[in-house]
Parts: sequence; C-alpha cells; structure tokens
Amino acid sequence: MTSDESNTPTRRELLAATGGAGVLLTAGCVSTTDEEATTTTESDGGGGGGETTTTAEPTTTESEEVGPYRIGMVNSLTGSLSAFGERNKRGTELALEAVNEVGIRGRDLEIIVEDSQSQSQTGVSAAQKLVNQDGVPFVVGAVGSGVSLAIYESVVQNTDVVQLSQNSTSPALSDFPGLLRMSPTGRTQSSALASIIQEDGYDSVAITWINNDYGQGIMEAFTEAWGGEIAYNNSHDQGQSSYSSVVSKMANSDADAWLFITYQPEFSTMAQEAYSNGYEAQFYGADSVKGPKVIENTPAGSLDGMKLVAPSAALDQDNYKQFASAFEERYDTSPTAWSAYAYDCVVTAALSIATADEFTGAALQETVREVTRPEGQEVFTFAEAMEVLGEDGSASDVDYQGVSGPIDLDENGDPVGYLQVFEVQDHAYASTGFISG
Amino acid sequence: MSVLEYVANGVIYSSIIVLASIGLSLVYSIAGFANFAHGDTMTVGAYAALVTFGLVGGLGSEILGLPLGFFAALVVGIAVAAVVAVVTHRLVYEPLDAGSIGLLITSIGVAFVYRSLIRLGFGADFTEFGIQVLRPIDWLLPYGVRVTLHDVAIVLTAGVLVAALHVLLQSTDLGRKMRATADNPDLARVSGIRTRRIKLWMWVIGAGLAGAGGVFLGLYNQISPRMGFDILLVVFAAVILGGIGSVYGAMLGAFLIGLVVRMTPLLSDVGIPIGIDYAKAIAFVIMVAVLLVRPNGIAGGTES
Amino acid sequence: MSRLTDPRGHWDRLTRAERGVAGFVVALLALLFYGFVTGGFGPAYVLYLVGLVGMYVLLSFGLNVQWGYTGLINFSVAAFFGLGAYGTALLTADSSPIAGGFNPLVGLVVGLALAAVVAYVVGVPTLRLRADYLAIASLGLAEVIRALVLNERRWTNGSAGLRGIPGFFEGWPLLDRFPELMPGLRVVVVPGSPIVLQEPFWQAVLNVTLVFVFVAASYLVLRRVHRSPWGRVLRTIRADEDLAEALGKDTYAFKMQAFVLGSVIMALAGVFYAHLNLFVSPGDFEPINTFYVWIAVILGGSGSNRGAMFGGFVIIAIREGTRFLGALLPDALRFTLPGALSVLPDGLLAALAGALSLVESTYATVVGNFASTRLLAVGLLIILVMRYRPEGVLPPQRELIWTGVADDTTRADPDSGVREARGGGSDE
Repeated sequence: MTSDESNTPTRRELLAATGGAGVLLTAGCVSTTDEEATTTTESDGGGGGGETTTTAEPTTTESEEVGPYRIGMVNSLTGSLSAFGERNKRGTELALEAVNEVGIRGRDLEIIVEDSQSQSQTGVSAAQKLVNQDGVPFVVGAVGSGVSLAIYESVVQNTDVVQLSQNSTSPALSDFPGLLRMSPTGRTQSSALASIIQEDGYDSVAITWINNDYGQGIMEAFTEAWGGEIAYNNSHDQGQSSYSSVVSKMANSDADAWLFITYQPEFSTMAQEAYSNGYEAQFYGADSVKGPKVIENTPAGSLDGMKLVAPSAALDQDNYKQFASAFEERYDTSPTAWSAYAYDCVVTAALSIATADEFTGAALQETVREVTRPEGQEVFTFAEAMEVLGEDGSASDVDYQGVSGPIDLDENGDPVGYLQVFEVQDHAYASTGFISG
Repeated sequence: MSVLEYVANGVIYSSIIVLASIGLSLVYSIAGFANFAHGDTMTVGAYAALVTFGLVGGLGSEILGLPLGFFAALVVGIAVAAVVAVVTHRLVYEPLDAGSIGLLITSIGVAFVYRSLIRLGFGADFTEFGIQVLRPIDWLLPYGVRVTLHDVAIVLTAGVLVAALHVLLQSTDLGRKMRATADNPDLARVSGIRTRRIKLWMWVIGAGLAGAGGVFLGLYNQISPRMGFDILLVVFAAVILGGIGSVYGAMLGAFLIGLVVRMTPLLSDVGIPIGIDYAKAIAFVIMVAVLLVRPNGIAGGTES
Repeated sequence: MSRLTDPRGHWDRLTRAERGVAGFVVALLALLFYGFVTGGFGPAYVLYLVGLVGMYVLLSFGLNVQWGYTGLINFSVAAFFGLGAYGTALLTADSSPIAGGFNPLVGLVVGLALAAVVAYVVGVPTLRLRADYLAIASLGLAEVIRALVLNERRWTNGSAGLRGIPGFFEGWPLLDRFPELMPGLRVVVVPGSPIVLQEPFWQAVLNVTLVFVFVAASYLVLRRVHRSPWGRVLRTIRADEDLAEALGKDTYAFKMQAFVLGSVIMALAGVFYAHLNLFVSPGDFEPINTFYVWIAVILGGSGSNRGAMFGGFVIIAIREGTRFLGALLPDALRFTLPGALSVLPDGLLAALAGALSLVESTYATVVGNFASTRLLAVGLLIILVMRYRPEGVLPPQRELIWTGVADDTTRADPDSGVREARGGGSDE
C-alpha cells in the first residue's frame, strides 16, 4: 500500500469490476468478431498452420466512403540511414503527385509517414502506431533490413497488412514471402559484381564494407559468389572521421581490385585518402557508392575507370526520363535508385488499391503482386495504368513497369533485379550495360 | 607498410585531438567539471568556419596548399566557438548551483542543444570545405611516409597554437593567474586574482582551441553535425590518460591516444588478430588500464 | 491503507509535486479511458506503449540503484540492456549463431547471468575511480562492448542482428496460444465507434502482463533493499564515501554489489525488449539510450522509485508522443499583414515583413525536422531541470542524509521533512 501506482484491489473493487464487465456483456455491447474473421490465402512465414488470420480493422469510425485512402510508411527520416530517408521522401512526393493528379476512383491517396530513426526499436513502434492505431492496411517500410524484419515479425506477420519494403536489400527477406520489397535482393548485385570483376581479369580482390546489415548482407553474398581469392575483407564503421587505416590495409593487401560496399560519405573519404596517399587500384562499387555527392567531393580523375552496379530502369526508358527530369527540376540533383524505389512503392500501392475489391489488407494482398506481374498490358505510369483499367479493371489486366525496373514480384516477394553497370569516365557516370537476374 | 607511415598518421590525428583535449583539461581544471559539450563546441567552430569560407572564398594566395581564406575562416571558427562557450557559461553554468556531477549532466543537455541547432540550421548531411584534395608529398614517399601539405599544415598549426598556449601559461600574467586559479581557487581569490574573469578567459581559450580542432577535423575529413560527438570519447580518453586537470598531461595523452588509434593496423600486420575496428576500443582499454595503476592519470594528481 | 481509509488526510500530507503528479496521472487515465471508449485510441497500440513505459521503468530502477542509492555515475546502461537482450536472443532466436531454440526462460536466466558477470568485470577497474572518471570509463567500456557485439560476427551475427526471437511465453501450455485462442471482441460503448479487440490486442495484454510482473518483482526487491541496513550503507556512501569508510565499511564491495544489482535489473529490461521486439541488433547498444534513461531518472527524481516510474513515462511520452505532434501541428504558418498597417512607413513595414517571414521559415524548419527539434527539446529539458529542480519531480521523501543531485551541495528541500514530521508513511 505504499505506491501511488499499484492498486491493490480490495474485495469491494473486485466485485465492482466483475459486475461491470458482466453488465457490459449482457447489455450486448460486446460481441465476438469471429463471424467476421476471414481466412486469407496468405501464407505466413512463421506460426503454425491452420491459423485464421483476422482482419485489422481501423479504430476510427466506419464511414470511410469519402476521404482519402490512407496508407502508412515507415521511413528513416533521422538516424544513420537518414540520407536514404530523404531520398525516399522525394520519390514519395513525386509519386503522390502523379497518383493524385488522376485519383483512385475519385479519391486521393494519403500516406502517413512515421520515422523509424533507423533503429528497429523505433521502427517497430512506428509500425505499431500505423497498424494498431491508424489502422492502415498497407505499410511501406522500412529502409534498414533489420527494421523491416523486426516490423514484419512482431507487428505485421499475423495480420493481413501488406508490407512492402522500399529499400531493404538483405537476402534474409527472401525467406518471408509475406514481406514484399521493391529493391532487389543484394544477392543480385553481389553476383553481378563478382562476374564483372572476374571478367575484368582479376583473381584477387580487397573488400571493405560498411558495418551494418546492408553491408554485411552484400559482402556475404559476394563472398559466396566470388570464386577467386579474397586478399582483404574487413568492415568499417559508419561516420568515422578518417578511414586511412582501411585504405592503407587495402593497399597493403596487394590486390589490384578493390570493392567498396558502403555509402557516399564514407566512400568519399576513402577515395580522397587513397588519392592523397597516392594509391592506385581498380575500384569497384556497390549501389550506394554511386551518387552526386561522391562526384562533388572527390578530386577529378581520382575515380576514373571505377565500375559500379546500381539498380535502375533503363535510362532511356520514357517513364524514367520523365521521372528524372521532374526530380531534377524539383530537387536540383539527379535521382538515385532509392528515390525510384519509393516512387514505385507508392504507385504499386495505388494500383493495388485501385484494383482491389475493398480497402482492407486481405483484399490488397490479392492484388499487390498481380499489378506488377507479367500478365496484362505493360503500363509505365500510373495515369496509363488507370486508363487501361477503366472502371473496374482487375489486377491482372496491367503489368506495371516501374521507374526502377520491371518489378515483377515473385513468390518470395522479391522484384526482378535489373541492374545497370556504370563506369566513371571524365569524372561522371556513364552507363555501360545491363544485367538482369 | 612502414611503421613510419602509421606514426605519421598518428601524429596528424593527435594534432587534431590535442587541440580539443587541452581545452577539455582547461575547463576541468578551472571550472571543475568534465564538459560533455566539448565535442559539439568543435562542431560549432567547424560550421562557423564553413560559413565564413563560403562567404569569403579563397582570397588568392596559398600557404601549404590552403588558401588564405581558409585561415581567415579558421580565425572566425575559433572566435565563434569561444563566444558560444562564454555565452553558455554565463547563461547556463554560472547560475547553476551544482557540483561537478550536476554540471556534467547539464553539459550533456548543452551538447544536445548545440547539435540540434546545427542540424536545424544546416541539415544532417555531411559537407566539405571544398578545398582541393592534394597528392602526397613526393620526397617523403621513398621513406614510406604519405602525407600531404594539408596534413603538414594541420600539424604545424596545432604546434603553433600549443606553443602559444605554453608561452601564455608560463610567461604571461594571465597564465600565471590561470595556473594559480587551477591550483587553488580560494587562495587565488584571496590573493586578489579575479577568478570570475579568469574563468571567462579559460572558456575563451579552451573553446577556441576546440573550435580550431573542429576546423581541422573538417578539413581532414568531413563536416557533419555529429563530428564532434563522434570524436569526443577519444578526446576524453586522451585527457583522462594524461590526467584530467593537467594541460601538459592532456598533450601527452592526446599524442599517445592518437598514436594508439592510428597504429592499430600494426597489430594485424604482426599477426595479432585484432582488427582495426577495435582501434578506439583499444584506446579505451588502455585508458582504463592506466587508470588502474595511476588513478589520477599519468600527469594528474592535482585534484582531490 | 491510509489512502483508502483516510483519503483526505493522505492528500494533505502529499507534497505539492506529488499532488501534481497524482493529478496528472488521474487526468491521463481519464483521457485514456475516454479515448478507449470512443475508439479514438487503438487498444493494442496503447498497451504497446504501456509495455515500453514498463521497460523504461525497469531501466530507471536499475540506474536508480546505482546512481540514486549509491551515487555511481554509470554511463553504460545501454550496454547492460543490450547484454540482457542479446543473452536471451542468442539462446532462443532461430538465427542465433551459437545456440537457438531454447526456452525463453533459459534465455532470461542466461541474459541476467551474462549481465551480472560483465558488470563484475566492468566494475573491477572502474568502481575505485572517482566519479567523473567512472562516468567516462563506463561509457568507454560500454563502447568496447558494443564494438565486440558489432564485430564478432561468429558469436553475434554482427550488424545483421538476431531475428526470429520467439515471444516470451513460447512453449507455455496455455499462454503460448493465448492471443489466438482468445475470441476477437467487439465492444460498442459509443454507438458507431466500436472497440475491436483482436489478436494484436491480446498479444499486447500478454506483453504488458509480463513487464508488469518484472516491474513488480524489481520494485519489491528494491524496496526491501532500500530499507535494509545494506541500503543505508549505500546511501551513506553516496552522501560521503569517506564517512562510510571511517565507519569501517568496505565501500568497494558495497558499490560492486549495487552495480551488479542495477545492471541485472537493466538486463531484465533487455530480456523483455528482446521478446517484445523480436529482433535485436548492435544498434540497441547505442549511448543515446543511456542518456534517455539518465533523463528519466533525473527528471523523475534520483533515488526514488516512484520518480523512476514517472521518468520512464515521461521518456516514452517524449519519444512517442512527438509522433502525434507532427499530425497536430500545421505544416506551416502563414502571415499576412493586414491592410490597415500600410499607413506605417515603408522601412518599418519591410522590417515587420522580414521578421514575420523569419518566424515562418523558422517554424517550417522546426516542424519539418522534428528529430532535431526533439533533440533540442530534450537538451533544454535537461538544462532546465538541472537549473530549477535538480532533485527531480518526485524526489525521495525520507532520507537520513539528504543530498541533491549535486554531490557537494546540500540543500534544504522544503518538500522533504513533511513526512518525517508526521512520522508516518514511507518514501516509496
């Protein structure tokens, strides 16, 4: 009896509570939702078989016939992945405009964005709010692979909510068919890099990778795919003031091919330090190494000849060109693949809503993959798709080809990987080919 | 890869740390608490210099590969850091009736305030000064030492500033008074030294040096809102190793810690399986080990 | 029992702060109830937040033993939290590189044991140091632990983290399937806004029950400890270590015991977290988590467990509440100068317009970058609390030796002594 908070129930209170509950029940205020539970064809990755999944109903009032369609997004607006969060935000804004210009059956699309702070703890609480408080049936999230997995396993898995990750690349996501993603698995890039380096004639490579789930995933997939020798393989932490130790060690290792799996700021530092130390080697890079900030912050000529792979739609494809020019006009810089993924996530969600029977998780599960798969007419923008669909088209009438590639979500929820190979020529990126896997 | 190269890297890194660690030690010896906002003071200096350099530009000629405009920006960075620290002292620390622990905790709040204001003003992304990156100095290459003119500039400027501080402490009136206040504030006050004013000077010098450290850190690597906090623990390790409250101890500690952190690759070169990811961890472990033997640091022992 | 038999008298004896907090709690509960009943608050979500509060309360309890009772400045809170989480995860997760598939109870024991052992190892070199050295050394060693977890991929999976952690009640006869077995309920109190209680809700009920059990157990243990002779020695050490030594106490041993006890409680929070989040990663060891717990303890009241509870609640309010602020605040302010002002001279008008546009753009920056604003608010909060109420909102009430947060100033707290004068009640 000494704490303000602990209510030790007296007999009187207990009786009152039981009585109250009984009254409520008998008054018919409480009914079970079993009659409304629907079984879905979703196969969850976890749990035992034979579960009936229940619909996640919104906690707001039932009259939602007018007003926008609201979906959720978990984005890394702050924290170590905030640069990606920024890119997602831009892609999302452009996509929302494109979608709402046409509308979905006369209603707008609205996205509730919650910050994951690039951490699984905060990401899960963001998803909890979106799913259990805002009651959205569709969540775009998250950036970090660990965050996506945490959200899926602890919040989404036993519900009908559709989860579509914008940016997660870890191969582990392929084990969960219910967890969709727009960015291809890191395995695609890694195999591509391995074959490129090999074709270039190198049999020994020095690798440095950023010490998070992204870097680790790509590194592990690369070492599996690589047949030759690995002269040096070590991680580096994000955001350090200097990477001279890493660079010296790579130089020490006598490998002439250096592979960088890291982000732009870290790579800029490494490139500068390699340059100011007079090291020369053939550089290779994974997708996040490519970007305008690297070009800005490294000396001319220091990167010439470097090869990178990055996912993107064909640069001469019309929808990509429109997307890129709209992006450059608005944000004064060229888009990265990450913005393209976010863009495609929003459009896919919109198409999924447009072709679903009702705005619930169960119904959206049925359409979200179909709108990207090869059955149906190829469409390249949301407006085009809505024209093809007309009043009551179904998901298999269209095959959305995104600005990030053909998508085509497979049974594991992964898109087809569509990579461009770039080479740095005259201190600028030039496309030298495609790989799809 | 030569040991000489690692040592050279260590010296450059130490030069940056020493500027910050002297300031931290000064603050401790005179204001009496460990200032967790010191790293973010470095960030303040760096951003002030960034703005100045953007406004002023190159200003023509170069010294050691650095345009004169950079040195102007350096001066501004030092000044702004000093002003911010003095203002914080007057507004926050002075009116606070708390012991060293309370001030320590308050300084964490101050650190958050600095960092968030910079993030609000400049965004969370990293930037650079925009000074051309140089190639290593040719005639040193045969010795296996790869340093650029910028690195030399960092070491030289740090050396000049430290020497100036030494002269100040030993040969000037102000320095004498500062040492007296650090030794025994009550006695100093009784013998006529205006300790309040000395404290202000201490903040000016300590924060100014930190600002200079931040500018060089920005030159050496990049400028971002987190830069100061990321290096703060290393600076603390240096100061504690040398003995908190002793300026010369801080210099020694900075030199040692800088070397240790930059010479870690040597370990795996000779076959000890500790990777360079553990560089900072090793620095901490060494610091704790030294504290076990000498609980007041190597040159410490002035405080009870 | 006094609260129930003589509420009026009890209320009179509460300090101003306690009344404020009690009133606040009542208002909040009323708001929550209203929200529940009208369907405005998702029940599963609210319970999830309650679970998080419980977790921070546990962390604050642990830090309270170390800082509040004994005066140890420990900046390695996040490390022990993480050790508890990783301890249980490494044993129970599917993806664990070491073991995996064990019962979470085994994970609990291992997590706590791991924390105790590491606390001992960390304590040996650091507990003999003076206060500020202890602070930095503990922070440094926490970073060493984080580096180990991050880099030793063979043991910990490195930055990929450990996924596939089962819920805590996995394998228990009935509770295992409790969320699925419970019927989905639909409560209609206000017509048109049903409250739907389905599987996520029942899962949240389980989680909250679990953390409640942990919190209650820790609370009882700590209350016992606080009143025991052992607790008194700790407080003597906090107030004046030399005095304790002079009284013949082996202060190092007592400090070590307090350090280990506190660390074990923090690890308990970590175990709960692992089975709530179902994913652990090296990011859980980040120092910012340590600072959040410190704010909770300082704001709540160092040395008092009720204060720790209040502090835990405040931290969750700051971290999660700001999500809703984003929805409530307008995106931008727009000012237009009323036409009537055009009679003013041009220069003044221009200055006015300039000032208003500055306000507009500042507002836009502040609202648009909420994380930075939150950090700013937290920093200012720390400064303000330390300036105006360093003992916290709910400081302990009955102390033989009164100390504030500042270790070398003793202050006469007008709020204390009330209970002593009446000779009744307790300080918990």
